[in-house]
Amino acid sequence: MTLDLITTLIPALVPMASDDGPVWLLAAGPAGGAATYWAFYRYYRNTDKSHQFERDTLIEAQPVQGGEEKVGHISKTRDSDIDGDNSDNYRQRVQRVQ
Amino acid sequence: MSQESAEPKQPTFDGPPLSLEEELAAAKAEPEPGPSIETVNESLKDGLNRCPKCGSTDVRLRGSTGMLVCLFCRNEWQEARVEEEFGLGEGIDQLEGTVIASGAGDIAADAADQLTFKCEACGAEVVVDTAHALNARCHWCRHTLNVNQQIPNGAVPDAVLPFRLTKDEAVEKIREFASKRRLFAHKRFKKEFVPENVLGVYLPYLVIDARAESQYWGKGEVQTRRWTEKQGDNNVTYYAADVYQVSRQVSFTVDDLTVEGSSERAQIGPANTNNIINTILPFDTKNAVKWNASYLVGFTSEKRDLNVEAVRPHLEDQLLSIGRSEVRGSLGRFDRGVRWEQEKLDVGGSRWVSMYLPVWLYSYRQESNGMLHYIAVNARTGETMGSIPVSQPKLLLAAFTVGTFLEGIAGAILVASA
Ligand SMILES: [Zn+2]
Ligand SMILES: [Zn+2]
Repeated sequence: MTLDLITTLIPALVPMASDDGPVWLLAAGPAGGAATYWAFYRYYRNTDKSHQFERDTLIEAQPVQGGEEKVGHISKTRDSDIDGDNSDNYRQRVQRVQ
Repeated sequence: MSQESAEPKQPTFDGPPLSLEEELAAAKAEPEPGPSIETVNESLKDGLNRCPKCGSTDVRLRGSTGMLVCLFCRNEWQEARVEEEFGLGEGIDQLEGTVIASGAGDIAADAADQLTFKCEACGAEVVVDTAHALNARCHWCRHTLNVNQQIPNGAVPDAVLPFRLTKDEAVEKIREFASKRRLFAHKRFKKEFVPENVLGVYLPYLVIDARAESQYWGKGEVQTRRWTEKQGDNNVTYYAADVYQVSRQVSFTVDDLTVEGSSERAQIGPANTNNIINTILPFDTKNAVKWNASYLVGFTSEKRDLNVEAVRPHLEDQLLSIGRSEVRGSLGRFDRGVRWEQEKLDVGGSRWVSMYLPVWLYSYRQESNGMLHYIAVNARTGETMGSIPVSQPKLLLAAFTVGTFLEGIAGAILVASA
């Protein structure tokens, strides 16, 4: 499929990027092309749209309760954020406790 | 109606005694069925809807006002809003168990869709196919025959939200939506696009009030230090962070959460465009009125085929998402983010009403892949969303052109900096 072609092109080009010089600029073409493709595809097909019931429903909530307890320390990492942050991804289900 | 089964939910076998926790869990898992809300419109029992002023049955919806109009004497009136009539806005924070309005009862699979009505006016027998429409015209005397009795096959909802947008307004919305998306539209679609072919459809929804409590557990990280180290020619940034076990809990009520009542559209995935209908929610469901099939004259309708139990997982999913959204604001101190790992939901009580919601629908079947594309207009708010078949060659060419252009600039910069 043509879509797959474009999405596989991008990661293939990323290794070419290096910090020695602005060679990564060469990724601009494929990246820009793919971005163009997706932007228009989304605008036409709207496959990503959904009703925002979290926001557009009448909800009355009591004050949020909870707690936090320090359980560890990461002394040195190159990661700028936590792995698997899903705090904004409300619809991603996690293990359901009964 | 007493639809509760008399059968005990727990087996009579006396095994080892349940622990208190297990008993509590069992009690929560099997809420006692609450009282039903009886929504049958008694004044329509004979299947005929008469003008309260002159008795004529030539009644239909006047779209501009949302009122019923008698075509004989021009009298206009409307059914009561279900919100007040059945007290639906009240007591959500005290809901217990599952309260199901009479029109949201289970669909009887074996009930025939074809109902035969005897025309009260001339005696002719007219068949109404309740799978597709809930009214028909007597072909002899032009009386409109309505399925107004809540026959126990779940075909007749509790409430209906009348159309407000006229067909012309809908056509305009659809034309506007499509004309903004012409450049890459499939050639055949452009040729065959006739927005006047839009149909007014009442789609079946379950509208739910619920009281719930949700809980979440996970890890959160707070950055304690950030520094850079030189590695060869490069600067590498490192971070140090404290890791926390985080828990959050919130109690909330939702008013008029609206969930698909049709299994066909409830399946949302890349292979179809079903999400389109979902995106034109919400509706002003507070303005829904008591069931009266005269609101349906001139429109088609679709029968609900999902029962409350089938929709319950969707409800729980949405309640969990709502709870997650509610606790989001309390996570500010975790500047490296939070990863939720477990969640729990207790639905204290829910109330279910079956409702017809009005949609103007333009549909187009793409020949090449058999995919059904829709442009849907919320016939209350005018919100419009759709899926337009894309011409892949044109879009690829455009993407290629942009890509080549950018690559040209990138090359020029590289050459200049070399
Ligand atoms: Zn009249
Ligand atoms: Zn007749």
